[in-house]
Amino acid sequence: MTAFPKRIGSWRSAPVAIFASAIIMVLVGLGVIIQTDNAYKDARREFVVSQARILAATTAAAVDFNDPIAAQEAVNPLKSIVSLRSAAVYGRDGQLIAGYDRTGEAVPAVENGIQPVGSQLVRASAPIESAGQRIGTVYIQVDRLPVWRRVTRYGMLGVLFATAALIVLGLGFAQRALRKANRELANRAEALAQANEMLGEQMEERAKAEDQLRQSQKMQALGQLTGGIAHDFNNLLTVIQGSADMLCKKELPEPKRVRFAKAIVQASENAAALTSQLLAFARRQPLKPEQLDLDQVLAGMRDLIDRTMGERIQISMHLEGPACSVQVDKAQLQSAILNIASNARDAIEEDGELRISTREVNEEAGRMIAIDVSDSGHGMDAETLDRVFEPFFTTKGAGKGTGLGLSQVYGFASQSGGEVRAESVVGQGTTVSLLLPCHAGSDVVTNPVERASAAPQRGATILVVEDNEEVGVFAESLLSELGHKVTRAASGEEALRLSRSNEFDLVFSDVVMPGMGGLKLAEALAEEKPALPVVLATGYSQEIAETGSVGRPLILKPYRLSTLSEAIADALNGSRPAAG
Amino acid sequence: MSSLRVIVLAVIGSMSLFLGASADAAGQPTDTDVKAAFLPRFARYVTWPPAASPKAGEPFVLCMIGNQPFGTAVEAAARSQSVDGRRIIVRKLPSGSVASGCQIAFVSGTALQPTQQVLAAIGRKPVLTVTDDGGPRGIIHFTVVGGRVRFFIDQATARQNGLQISSRLLALAVGVRQ
Repeated sequence: MTAFPKRIGSWRSAPVAIFASAIIMVLVGLGVIIQTDNAYKDARREFVVSQARILAATTAAAVDFNDPIAAQEAVNPLKSIVSLRSAAVYGRDGQLIAGYDRTGEAVPAVENGIQPVGSQLVRASAPIESAGQRIGTVYIQVDRLPVWRRVTRYGMLGVLFATAALIVLGLGFAQRALRKANRELANRAEALAQANEMLGEQMEERAKAEDQLRQSQKMQALGQLTGGIAHDFNNLLTVIQGSADMLCKKELPEPKRVRFAKAIVQASENAAALTSQLLAFARRQPLKPEQLDLDQVLAGMRDLIDRTMGERIQISMHLEGPACSVQVDKAQLQSAILNIASNARDAIEEDGELRISTREVNEEAGRMIAIDVSDSGHGMDAETLDRVFEPFFTTKGAGKGTGLGLSQVYGFASQSGGEVRAESVVGQGTTVSLLLPCHAGSDVVTNPVERASAAPQRGATILVVEDNEEVGVFAESLLSELGHKVTRAASGEEALRLSRSNEFDLVFSDVVMPGMGGLKLAEALAEEKPALPVVLATGYSQEIAETGSVGRPLILKPYRLSTLSEAIADALNGSRPAAG
Repeated sequence: MSSLRVIVLAVIGSMSLFLGASADAAGQPTDTDVKAAFLPRFARYVTWPPAASPKAGEPFVLCMIGNQPFGTAVEAAARSQSVDGRRIIVRKLPSGSVASGCQIAFVSGTALQPTQQVLAAIGRKPVLTVTDDGGPRGIIHFTVVGGRVRFFIDQATARQNGLQISSRLLALAVGVRQ
């Protein structure tokens, strides 16, 4: 911006120079014209003088012999000079001998009668001499060229100079206009820069405001989340605590004790489901992706969906056929579909229909398969639609829903590299679309074969690695209950040391521990003792959430006796043939 | 301004006309006076052969042969004239005299010796002979045309006698004999 004024500054003296040169040009032109005019006047005067001298010479004899006719004959040829005004020949005594006047006026009869010359005439006189004696005088007057003739005469010259001056002036004006335009341009550029700056500031302010809004929304969501968790957990803890208190009472009849114990188990299961769904929303769920044909999975869920929806809702499925396979966690996928379906069910007040279809779509991220679940329910307004994936956001009455269903769908879709969209028209229904990316690998889908549950193994030697004393004690007691011999280590390093000096059938390790974690330990053991099976357990692990368990069996806390028993048995069965 | 000038011009013009007219009326010269005045003036328009020209420091000689019709008018006219710085003197000679030493000779015959005789005597001498109206003609012969004194010029004789007459003078002649 500052470059403009500087540039203008260097040009500031130019117009003055141009005007000055124009004036100089005009002056020079005038000078040349005046000079030429003077030269012309001189030439004119010389011409007149020479004519007078010639006349004087030719009339000398006539004057000498007082012969007016001869004198007149000498004067007459002068009439051919166009500009001749008058000619007169006077004798020695000043009397007129011969004369001529173009206008017809009388030529003064005596020399003394000759009038002074006006500005329109040029006069010259010459003495008439004869043998060295002056015998008379000749006068000749010619018209000075009229002003307009002179103007015409110098017109071309004047036009040339005027043109030059005009060109210079034109240049000057053009330059001035250019300068003005430049200045305006500079001003506009400056204004633009200011506007731009202002815009920048506004954008910054807006971004700040948006940040604040987002922050407050986050805080709101967080508040809702923590509130929801606290509420649900408090309910569950109330059941657990109350039941535990009751169990502590002596002389409690057996049926009651069983009932309270089952209540605790049920509450714990609910709490586990709750945390699982929270993790799913937070996309921290440890997934076990497998290659699936979506249509097949959906078809397989038909009965389950029917049961969930009840009789009043008619279900239709429109499956396009296997366009491609997807690689997702099957249990989470089923859970997501059920969550969407149950939301649809709750939106349909009386009779209605639910339509499930698949289609292939091409998104920016690549080929995807969309599962559209449409209901003919009451729909949602825009505000509700905006918040539909927020955890603990629910329109259902208290106790009817957790507000975590669609959050799980959202978390699952995101974590699987897909996305979820919801469209809704109030009074007409809602469509939730779950988009999952096509798997680039083989399209051949191998459905997992249900393994017959292995008979519980007994008498194995198991190294339990757990940094948390209580959980360690609990795991030891469970495994002991299953009939295994248990050795405990409090860290990965200790476990590695123990494994070198002792023979174990299996290592059951926590994942998250200070120092060497479960995954590192498993790696180290795989090198040292490749045949030694390792089962991992975790409540939540960033590492596992990101990379998975690298093919090792993993059980999630809180785990139940049956889960633990199955995992241990599977691992032992898997390792036996290899070992043996 | 311009009207004032016109008036002044008119006044001066009428005055000059009046003055001119009065001068004419008062001093109208006679033909004889004019002829007397002309005589010394011819010298300026004629070139003599070197032998016939006056010597350095000597005057120009105008001879009057025979009758003297002009009286002293010629002397008066000659006094006011000069030729190339030379004086002009008038020499009056009786008829029959030899016109030797004369550049110009006005010949006016007498009963005793007519003009023709005098001219014959001069013959082919380089002398500019001048004669008056009504007689034999010399090289220059006066006449009066329209009340004004004019002259004929006999250029053939002049050339024979070795005289060169200026074309300016020839231009003034009523007639020129070639």
